[in-house]
Amino acid sequence: MKDRIVHTLQELRRYALSKDCEVALSYHEEDSYLIRFANSAISLNTNEHLIRLEITAHADRRRASFALITDLGKIDEMKQGIDTAAEMVAHTQPLTYQPTIPLFTETFIDEDGYDPALAQISNARRLEYFNQAARGLENDEIRLSGIFSSGSNTLAMINTQSEHFQYFKTSDTQVTVVLSHERLKWEVIAEGSAQNIAELDPARLRSELAFLLERYQYDAPQQLPLGKYDIVFGPAATADMITFMNWIGFNGGMMKRGFSFLSEEMVGGKVFSDRITLLDDPDRPETFPFKRDFTGIERNTYPLFQAGVFQGFVWSQDDADEFSAQPTGHTVSHKSLVLQGGNAPVNTLEELVKMPREVDLLYIPFLHYMNIVNPSKGIITASSRFGALLLKKDGTVSVPYNVRLTQSLLDIFGDRVAWLSEACVPYNTSQSYERRNPTAVIVPAFMRVNDLEISHSNASY
Amino acid sequence: MLAQIKGHIEQIKGAGATYVDARWYPYEQQNYLLMWNGNLKQNTSSRESGLGIRVLYKGAWGFSASSDLNNMGVLFDKALDNARLAAERVTLPVRLAEKGALQAKFASPCDTDPFSVPLAEKVAFLREMDEKLNQEGVFQRLSDLFFIRKQIVFADSEGSEIEKLITEVFASMQVTGLDSQGETHRREYRLARHGASTRGWEALDRQRFSENADRIVKEMNQVLVADACPKEDRSVILLPGIMYLQTHETIGHALELDRILGYELAYAGGSFVTLEDFGSLRYGSAKLTARADGTLPNTPGSFGYDDDGVACQNTVLIDKGILVGAITGRQMVEEANTRAKRTIFDGSGGCNRATSFYRVPIERMTNINIDPGEDGNLEDIVRNTEKGIILDGDRSWSIGSNREQFHFGTEIGWLVEDGQIAQVVKNPTYRGDTLKFWNSLSAVGDGSTWEVAYVDNCGKGQPNQVMQLGHGVPVCRFDNVRIGE
Repeated sequence: MKDRIVHTLQELRRYALSKDCEVALSYHEEDSYLIRFANSAISLNTNEHLIRLEITAHADRRRASFALITDLGKIDEMKQGIDTAAEMVAHTQPLTYQPTIPLFTETFIDEDGYDPALAQISNARRLEYFNQAARGLENDEIRLSGIFSSGSNTLAMINTQSEHFQYFKTSDTQVTVVLSHERLKWEVIAEGSAQNIAELDPARLRSELAFLLERYQYDAPQQLPLGKYDIVFGPAATADMITFMNWIGFNGGMMKRGFSFLSEEMVGGKVFSDRITLLDDPDRPETFPFKRDFTGIERNTYPLFQAGVFQGFVWSQDDADEFSAQPTGHTVSHKSLVLQGGNAPVNTLEELVKMPREVDLLYIPFLHYMNIVNPSKGIITASSRFGALLLKKDGTVSVPYNVRLTQSLLDIFGDRVAWLSEACVPYNTSQSYERRNPTAVIVPAFMRVNDLEISHSNASY
Repeated sequence: MLAQIKGHIEQIKGAGATYVDARWYPYEQQNYLLMWNGNLKQNTSSRESGLGIRVLYKGAWGFSASSDLNNMGVLFDKALDNARLAAERVTLPVRLAEKGALQAKFASPCDTDPFSVPLAEKVAFLREMDEKLNQEGVFQRLSDLFFIRKQIVFADSEGSEIEKLITEVFASMQVTGLDSQGETHRREYRLARHGASTRGWEALDRQRFSENADRIVKEMNQVLVADACPKEDRSVILLPGIMYLQTHETIGHALELDRILGYELAYAGGSFVTLEDFGSLRYGSAKLTARADGTLPNTPGSFGYDDDGVACQNTVLIDKGILVGAITGRQMVEEANTRAKRTIFDGSGGCNRATSFYRVPIERMTNINIDPGEDGNLEDIVRNTEKGIILDGDRSWSIGSNREQFHFGTEIGWLVEDGQIAQVVKNPTYRGDTLKFWNSLSAVGDGSTWEVAYVDNCGKGQPNQVMQLGHGVPVCRFDNVRIGE
C-alpha cells in the first residue's frame, strides 16, 4: 500500500510540474472503527475508510488549498484537484509575507508506531475487551456507556521542491468506559490509550471502575460549600489543562496575536512552580509522535518549562514566516507533550485514598467543557465530572456533586502546586472532529494544587 | 446510481435486516476564506462524495461508509456485519416510530450559488471588510466567509426517496484590541437573519456588514478603557448575540432526546431532564415559550427532511414555562415512550441529522427558538430595569455535564442603573443554574428584538459531528443573576 501511495503522489507531483504549478500534496488515509456503547448496549458499530488529498498551490506570495475525499484509483480526479488549486491561487490575494514551501532534503519513513494487530483488531475482540472491563459491574440501574475507537492513520507528503517524501503510519486505540446510575445520574469513568495491542489492559479499567463504584453506590452525594480547596487533579484533568496551555500559552503565533498569557519578556523567567517541567518529547511512543515535522525538520526533545522556567515559544513554519521567527519543528498536527512526574509516591487511586492527609482534599479526575474566559490571564473555566471524591482529613471518603473551577493556569501550575506523582501515564486526548489524529499527553497520575477556588457547587447532578 | 442503491437495500433486507437506509452524497462542496490583518490566511475549498449505509438487524444498528463506490455491495455487507455484532449486546431493541413512504425534494432558498461566485469577488468582499475594520485601537482584525453546498439522496427500505439540495452561507468579522494592561478584548459580528432572506451569496449584505464593522470597532474601543465588570447579583439583559447561545446550551442540548436517554453519557454528557418531567416540569417562567422549528425557510436549521426521512416540523418544547417537547428522531421517541410506559411523543420530530455521508444520524437541533414576548423593545426593557447589565457577544461558554449549570463570558456589558444605561464594563461574565435561571425570566422582547442567529460549529456525538443550525431569539431579561465571576 505504501508503494502505491508514494507512486500516486509522485505521479501527481510530475503532473503539477508539467503544468508549471508549484504545489504541496498531503495525503491522509484513515481506517477507523468505533463501537459505541450506551445504556449497556452497543448503540453504534461503525467503520469508515477515508482517503483525503489536500493540495496547496503556491505562486510567490499567493497560496490556496483544495481538498478532496478520494481513492487511489481516481488519479484523474486528483489531477483535476491540482488544476483547481492552481486556478484558485491565480485569483487569490498575495500574503504580506513570503510563505515557505518546505524542501525535503531526504525521504523519511516512520512506521514505528504502526501495529497491524491493533489496527486490525476484530469486532469480536473489541466487544470482549469491553465485556471484560465492565464484567460484573452493571445492573438494572448502573448502565454501561463508552467507546472503543481504533484504527490506523497514514500521512504522506510530497511537494514540487524535491522528489523526496515523508510517510508516517500509526495505529491507535482510545477506550472510554463509563458506568452511570440511571436514576441518580452519577457517572464514573476509566479510560485507556494504546499504540500497540500489548497496551490494551481491560483489567486495569475494571479495577478502577470497581473502586469508584464502591464509593458512588453507597455514599450519598453532597453539595460542597463554596471556597478554597486543595485539589488533586487526575490525568484527564491535567492533560486537558496542558492541552489548553498548548493553545493559549507557548504557541508563538497565538502570543503575537494577543491570545496568550505568556509574553516574550517571560522567556527565561520563572512562570510556574519549580515542580513543573513540561517537554515536547517525540521519543515517547505513547504520544503517537512525529519525529519529523511536516516541513521536514527533525524533531527532538524540546523543553517548554524547566523547573518552572519558561524556555520559549514554539513556532510553526507559517507563523515563523509571518512573524520573522525561526521555525522550531512544530508544524505538526499534534505535539508530544510530557509533564514530568514528581516525587510523591501516590500512583494509583487506591494509594491516593489511603494517603495520610492533614486537610480535606478534593479529587477531580476530569474537567468537563473547559473554555477560556480570559486568554491574556490564562483564565479557564470547567466543571468536575466522572468520579470526583472528597478525601477527608479523617481518612473517610465522600462523594461530592459537581463543582465549577474558574482559575488561571498561572495559578494552577504556579507555586500552589504541592506535589506530583512519581508515575506518569499517557492520557488519550484524541478528538474525532474531521480527520483521525491520535494524540496523547503524558502526565503524572496525580497533581495536587492547594488553595483553588470553587466558584459554583451543584445541589444535584 | 439510485437504482443500484435500492437494489442493495433490498438485498440486505432479504438477508435479515429489519430496516436499511442509504444516504448518497453526489457531492458536498465547502469553501472557507479567512482574512486576518489583511492576509488571506485561509483560502481552502473541498469536494467530497460518498455513501453512508445504516442497517438495523435484530434491534441493533450497524453503519458503514466510504467514498469508494466501486464495491458498493461490500459496503452494504459491512454495515450488516457491524449490526450483527451490535446485536450481540442489545438491552432494548431499536424500534423506529412509524412514518410514511415519502417521495420528496427540498432545496434551500438560494438565488446565487456561492460556488458560482468568482473567488476574486469573495476576496474583494473580505478586503473591503478588512479595510473597514482597520481603525484606531484595533490590534487584530479577522473576517471570514464559509460556504457549503451539498446534494443528498436518501433512500430507505420503507420506500422513501428524498433528494435535498442545501446551500449555506456563513460570514463573520471580529476585532480585538489591547487595553492598558495588555489584556485582549474582542467584538464580533456574525451574519444573522433579519426578516425575509435566503441562504445564497445574496445573503451577504455589504451595507449591513459595513455598518456593523463601525459599530464593533467603536464598542471594542469602549471596552478597552472600561472598568472591570463588578462581582454581584444583577438583572441580566441578554441581546441576541449571547441569548442565542444561552438557548443553545441550556435548552437545545438539554432537550435532545438521545442525551436525555443517556446516549451521550460517555462524551458530551446527559441532561438533568427526565422522562417524568415532560408535561409537568416548570422549566422557566410563564414568559418562556421555546420551540424546535425546522420550517423557517432561511436558516441552516431547516433542511426539509431529516436523515430518517421525516419532514421538518415546528414543535413546541416549552409552553409558557412548562416542558412539553424534545428534539427527537424515530428511534428515540419509541424508546422514550417504552421506557416511560406512556406516550410522551407522538412520532418523530424530524431532527435526526448526520453531518456528512460518513457519519450516522443523531438528534440535532433545528432552529431552537424563543417566541417573542410582550415586553416591548430593548429601550422599554432597559427603562423597566432597576439594576442590571446588558450583555452581548459570546466570549466563552462552559456548561455542566447534565446542562444543569453554566458559565458564560461575553464581549461587552453595559451597566443599567434606574432604567438608564450607565457605563460599559469589560470582561463581563455570568453564571447560573439552568432551571433557576430560566425561571427568573422577567421580560421578553417583542418581534422588533427577534433575530435568527446561525451556528456553524455545533459539536456532538462519537465519532464527532459538527452541525449547522439556527436560533431565533428576542432580547430577554433574567433577574438576580451572579455576574463578574
